[in-house]
Amino acid sequence: MSADPKKAQPVHNPIEINPETCVKCNLCDWICPGDLIYKEEDNRETLPVVAYPDECWYCGLCQSICPVDAITIVFPDEMIHCKTNVVDLLGKVVE
Amino acid sequence: MNTDWNTLDTDVLVIGGGVAGCMAAIPALEAGLDVVVCEKGKVLDHCGSVGCGVDHYLTVMESGPEWDTPEFLIKHVPQLTDGIVDMAVTSRVIHEMPRVLRRIESFGVDFKDPRYGDYYRLRSFGLPGTYHINFDGTEFKKHIGQQVRKKKGTVLTRTMAVQLLTEDNRVYGALAFNFRTSEWFAIRARAVVLAAGEVNRLSLNASGVAFDSWHCPYNTGDAHRMGYNAGATLTNMEFIESTLTPKGFSAQGLNAWVSEGAHFVNKQGERFMFKYDEKGENARRAVIADAVIMEYLLGNGPIYADCRHLPEDVLDHMEATLQVDRYTMPAFYEQKALNFREEPVEVSISELSIRRSGVYFRGSGLAVDTDAQTSVGSLFAAGDCASVSGGIAGASVLGHIAGEGVATHLKKPQGSLPDIPMDTANAIREATMAHAKIEDGIGWKDFEQQTRQTVSDYIGVRRNEKGLKLALDELHALADKETQLRADDLHGLMRVQESKSIRLSAELMAHASLARKETRTRSSHRRLDFPDKDDAHWRKFVLVSQGADGPNVDTLSCDEPLAAAFGRLETKAVPNVG
Repeated sequence: MSADPKKAQPVHNPIEINPETCVKCNLCDWICPGDLIYKEEDNRETLPVVAYPDECWYCGLCQSICPVDAITIVFPDEMIHCKTNVVDLLGKVVE
Repeated sequence: MNTDWNTLDTDVLVIGGGVAGCMAAIPALEAGLDVVVCEKGKVLDHCGSVGCGVDHYLTVMESGPEWDTPEFLIKHVPQLTDGIVDMAVTSRVIHEMPRVLRRIESFGVDFKDPRYGDYYRLRSFGLPGTYHINFDGTEFKKHIGQQVRKKKGTVLTRTMAVQLLTEDNRVYGALAFNFRTSEWFAIRARAVVLAAGEVNRLSLNASGVAFDSWHCPYNTGDAHRMGYNAGATLTNMEFIESTLTPKGFSAQGLNAWVSEGAHFVNKQGERFMFKYDEKGENARRAVIADAVIMEYLLGNGPIYADCRHLPEDVLDHMEATLQVDRYTMPAFYEQKALNFREEPVEVSISELSIRRSGVYFRGSGLAVDTDAQTSVGSLFAAGDCASVSGGIAGASVLGHIAGEGVATHLKKPQGSLPDIPMDTANAIREATMAHAKIEDGIGWKDFEQQTRQTVSDYIGVRRNEKGLKLALDELHALADKETQLRADDLHGLMRVQESKSIRLSAELMAHASLARKETRTRSSHRRLDFPDKDDAHWRKFVLVSQGADGPNVDTLSCDEPLAAAFGRLETKAVPNVG
């Protein structure tokens, strides 16, 4: 498994949570439409965890609701500098 | 793991707490019915396709001029849909638009533009008038979700329905599980409303990031699958929908571009849209998407959205409202170091979805009658999983019709509900949970990626019989692997269900595409082996429903309402595909 370079790459984290400013309030877990962010309830000591970073919609609801602006949405390189040839998305013609 | 069942009895079960589901729940609650909403998100205020906002709303308002009347818009619907549309249901939806708009305003949604103290209405997507209210809908969903809570609807959050319960072509509930707690629910209901949205994560996108989709990637055809398995008839499944997005980020925003006056240009700097439609950038979404597809295939890509000619005040407004449809759009431009005011934005075709094929009022999904009831008794559908769809307004109006339809339906004697056969329920629960015990098998992400590759390659925007048959072979091979789908945890069990819904939707799409031997609405259904529109033979709905050995495919003349094909009504027989 570890010999596979694709699998060795870390998964991009789209939801950066600043541990210094996060008030551990649970709102990001509460609002995430994709069930990505897990925060232990009723525990003001633990940080939220982005459990499924590769399932993010980049909707920004977590960022929008964070009361202390502790969340930054970071787009991965393949979105920011997308190199895909659009024609490759347009199908194959089977003769 | 909790192995006990939570059993609930209710009047109405709504599956999906987005706009359509909430708008269905509201009139049902007002009629004094008990309503349970089953929702994969955590909070009604922010779940569904527009949980993070919406910037336009299609409606007639009866403000005075002839174009602003239901009759005027209805007259143009055949043209907007290329003749494939259920006029009975669409006419009811359009007639209800002004009333539902006022209802939503009464919930606290402010459709007016603070710059003018009035509605800011613009023309786009081929509509014959300025029917779109452009507005700040950041809190649109919040107001609607709040109504359900205020009216004491019961909401099961982080809960996924997996199977409807039916007897004698009538639905009487569903089985569902909470993917945070593993609690299972056996819900008996006198009526069920399916409102789980469209089918996304269906094909490849430019970024290659699977959940980077124009519309909510957590809408995956679950209603289509549950309805199909319950015996409901689906229609328009052959039509794909795509849009234009900034390349690399499949996000909403095309309406803002075209309604505010952006131009699309190819690599030669040519403004090409008028080659494809006399309305130019104001053409229907399906036409805009097709024009860009054709330009790319002609070698004229990259394609750009160009706003540089627009007046400063328009650019200011576009910039100020950039985040309304998608909160993160300003961050995307910032991280890309791109200023759309000063440079063209490279655009891509988005991934494909099964929704409403880039035209208003022709929804792809569960066929419904004028009360939003499907071909299965007591089973209703609304929103982007239903056969009449019109964006957030369509979801609002048909959802409201469904809620009122349920209330009317339940006034009639229904008889007692069957007991849930717990041996069957236990078997379904066991099969669902078994995916977490598989150690080898196939991960749901790999399974989905294979579905997406198949859809893009052979069921996408350039179809022919050989390719579609090849796609069916591959999708059937994937179906054989479904019992071996592997989930790592409870959350993964939910995704496994979604993966199955996506695969089945793709299969239905391939079957319906094979049946329609013509090309209609350009790349929404382009058959390279039948390149022309054929009104003489194909002004028909393609209907799919579950058969003994795979999907049954039938057709119905578009001169008939879809309800004419419903077995629960005494109507004429449906002709078969030749």
